[in-house]
Amino acid sequence: MGFARACSVALVGVEGVVVEVQADLEAGVAAFTLVGLPDKSLVESRDRVRAAVANSGAEWPQKKLTVGLSPASVPKGGSGFDLAVACAVLGAAERIDPASIADVVMIGELGLDGRVRPVRGVLPAVLAAAEAGYRQVVVPEQTAGEAALVPGVSVLGVRSLRQLIAVLCDEPVPDEQAPHDQGRPDTMLAGLMVPGAGMGTGIARGSTQGEGHRPDLADVAGQARPRKALEVAAAGGHHLLLTGPPGAGKTMLAERLPAILPPLTRQESLEVTAVHSVAGILPPGEPLVSRAPYCAPHHSATMQSLVGGGNGLPRPGAVSLAHRGILFLDEAPEFSVRALDALRQPLESGHVVVARSAGVVRLPARFLMVLAANPCPCGRHTLSGAGCECPPSSVRRYQARLSGPLLDRVDLRVLVDPVKRADLMGQGGRGESTATVAARVREARARAAERLADTPWTTNSEVPGHELRTRLVAAPGALMAAERDMERGLLTARGLDRVLRVAWTVADLRGADRPDASDIAVALELRTGIPRGAPMGASAA
Amino acid sequence: MTGQGAGVSGRAAGAWYGRTAEEQGRGAGDRERPAGAAGEVNDRERLARAALARVLEPGDERGGRWLRECGGVELLRRITARDGSAEQLSGMTAKRLAGYRLRVETAEPGRDLATVAAAGGRFVCPGDREWPSQLDDLGDSRPTGLWVRGRPDLRLWALRSVAVVGARACTPYGAHMATTLGAGLAELGWVVVSGAAFGVDGAAHRGALAAGGATMAVLACGVDVAYPRGHAELIGRMVEQGLVIGELPPGDHPTRSRFILRNRVIAALTRGTVVVEAEYRSGSLVTARCAERLGRFTMGVPGPATSGLSAGVHELLRGEGVLVTDAAEVAELVGDMGELAPPRRGPVLPRDLLDAVCTRVLDALPGRGAADGREVARSAGTSADEALAKLYELHSLGFVERHGDGWELTRRPTCNDDARRGGT
Repeated sequence: MGFARACSVALVGVEGVVVEVQADLEAGVAAFTLVGLPDKSLVESRDRVRAAVANSGAEWPQKKLTVGLSPASVPKGGSGFDLAVACAVLGAAERIDPASIADVVMIGELGLDGRVRPVRGVLPAVLAAAEAGYRQVVVPEQTAGEAALVPGVSVLGVRSLRQLIAVLCDEPVPDEQAPHDQGRPDTMLAGLMVPGAGMGTGIARGSTQGEGHRPDLADVAGQARPRKALEVAAAGGHHLLLTGPPGAGKTMLAERLPAILPPLTRQESLEVTAVHSVAGILPPGEPLVSRAPYCAPHHSATMQSLVGGGNGLPRPGAVSLAHRGILFLDEAPEFSVRALDALRQPLESGHVVVARSAGVVRLPARFLMVLAANPCPCGRHTLSGAGCECPPSSVRRYQARLSGPLLDRVDLRVLVDPVKRADLMGQGGRGESTATVAARVREARARAAERLADTPWTTNSEVPGHELRTRLVAAPGALMAAERDMERGLLTARGLDRVLRVAWTVADLRGADRPDASDIAVALELRTGIPRGAPMGASAA
Repeated sequence: MTGQGAGVSGRAAGAWYGRTAEEQGRGAGDRERPAGAAGEVNDRERLARAALARVLEPGDERGGRWLRECGGVELLRRITARDGSAEQLSGMTAKRLAGYRLRVETAEPGRDLATVAAAGGRFVCPGDREWPSQLDDLGDSRPTGLWVRGRPDLRLWALRSVAVVGARACTPYGAHMATTLGAGLAELGWVVVSGAAFGVDGAAHRGALAAGGATMAVLACGVDVAYPRGHAELIGRMVEQGLVIGELPPGDHPTRSRFILRNRVIAALTRGTVVVEAEYRSGSLVTARCAERLGRFTMGVPGPATSGLSAGVHELLRGEGVLVTDAAEVAELVGDMGELAPPRRGPVLPRDLLDAVCTRVLDALPGRGAADGREVARSAGTSADEALAKLYELHSLGFVERHGDGWELTRRPTCNDDARRGGT
């Protein structure tokens, strides 16, 4: 008669819940029952564990065996419980000392041969374990780096069950063969990267492709105003809409935005890594995502793929994969209206709450949204001599696909004109490099952070309107142009707040203490898209 | 059409100016006059014209001629009665007559009048006190009558009105300019007339309403029909705060040609037409050309030269159109004598006021460092004495400083525009 328990972690969204795995042996006909809301892949754990234990040189107890996962009400899934189940069974069979495994969190899938295979979501799982007070975790060796990011936890990376048993029994640890031979594909990584999960998301493209080609702002010819908008968006965290004919360079501009964003802080990195780990798109060998992610879903994306969804428990969607980074929606009017309008909640609150049959999940989704749109279905509307034949009603319909409430959250609306030959061919057209702009953005962010130090906000885009009108006021008389627009009904009260927010960012970029009339003019121009002769050059001072 | 148009143009322009002041006076006096007094069309004629509004398409010049020749009651009788009198109208063919008769069968003028009256409207005919007689400039294509919703007096409002028209699929710039113009004109006491369409039209109406001013929509459908549907609320507001008029009987729906024909009413009703954004092929340019033929002012708001949506406006501006950038400039053109836009020019800088030699001497001074009088004279191309005299003059004006024998430009704070010019 034996009883033992070990611990593992169930993932609910990107948050972990520590699960106790209890194994109980009783006399009776040999059987193996698994209880506690396991899903299909977890039920199969029985067979995997039995084979792995047998192949690791341990004896499988020929008794009535019950394994319970508690809390029983939390739905559990995936193969990450294998290691904990195996150890609990061996503890109950007294192959290993039950006391040695009681407070150890074990995460990992077992192969039939007893090898430990990596699973997704190790970082959030270990974070949850650490929060719950556990100090020792055992994870597959490949994900030990990811687990080690969590402070205050001692991590043991194992290659096989045999190794783990040896460690727990203080026996000499057998040296397992290297996980993969030279030249053969690494089968172990199959569990880590989920094929298809990151499709169309282009996660952290720069980082996965190493230091090869990195898009630089200097490649963009001309386009003074969109460049300025990009810089303001990065410095203040303002959402951005780029409108222009095909081939004007909207995508090119958007792709260069992540590089001018400041690098992620430690806390942000952990958040981003956790989401990516759960989604199964964390590149192997790079346990910590340190740069702003870039996610560009195709316009056929469904609402579920954008905000998160799936059977049973929801999985992170594009908005969460773009957490602390860029969500670029190219051809935005082509997205389904449902999908676009579903973005409103995360835009407002910085997270999404998705409900599915198995539970409600809150996923982080604080991203910088960049929309790109053609002016009409054929894309040539407003171009001189291009012959757009779209009837006015269809142009209107096309533009109306981006709903008012969504556009209302977009601080910067910029027309991207087709690039001129003189800019493209001329040597003088070469603009500032990413490094120069990124440095300015960092300074502006620092300036804003310093000003907002004793407030809950960090970037200008988050500051609420009443704050802008009472505590952080612009230079006297600077608002004349904006107020005149408001009188005429061209600018709503909310629009004025947006203009003020952008103006603060423009002033920060300029190194000024507070926005003056020229900053407001730039902000008005960037917000409304109507030229006002405001200086758009990099040195707007 | 063109030949006739030229004729109309000259006559109309003269008629317009001759009439304005006199009518304004009369209009003001008319207000106190009780309804139904002299200056009102009798009920039979009104009923007949209401019926004819269903029979004659807008802009039917032949029908307009018959109407002028024999009056509404008689024309309706001839079309209805099968006594052969209709065939005697010049230009009437059996086919046409059959068409008119098909329509007259369904005409129920009494019901139409009641429908519009129920919607708070009225039917204004030529000869009525409220009839805007500038529409007579359209000749035989003038409307049979106008269905009007809204409280204000159509005639009084039309006297001081400007049309603001443009593309339906306008750019943000177009919408911005239309709103600004609408609001600006309303603030100057002008009535903003447009077609209630999406884009520029709607923006102009909204601008005027936002400024608490007067605005009038000329619809290409029945006045009880809200077209476009998306502007139902805007049209509703104009019924409350302004005027909504149309020449089509209640319940009628717009067609392509009716939009074009509606434009002639907008052009004729107003003193001038401002086109905000228009492509080469645009209904707004029809309005502008019509206004031009009628001797009204045509104006255009320029846009970027790269924008296809402003190409039509620019073509207009290269011809008869006048470039305007804001409401004051529009008012200056269409308004009464003395209604001038404020003069605009760049700031006058102190150095602009210097005489020629002084300017040369000032230019001769080096950007930084000092120069002595002879050097200055040499580079200014003048005699040493004159240069010295001018340098003292400049010194007293504060442009230069003297250091021993050397002369130097005065350093100014960099925020001064003048200093930047002088310093570089």
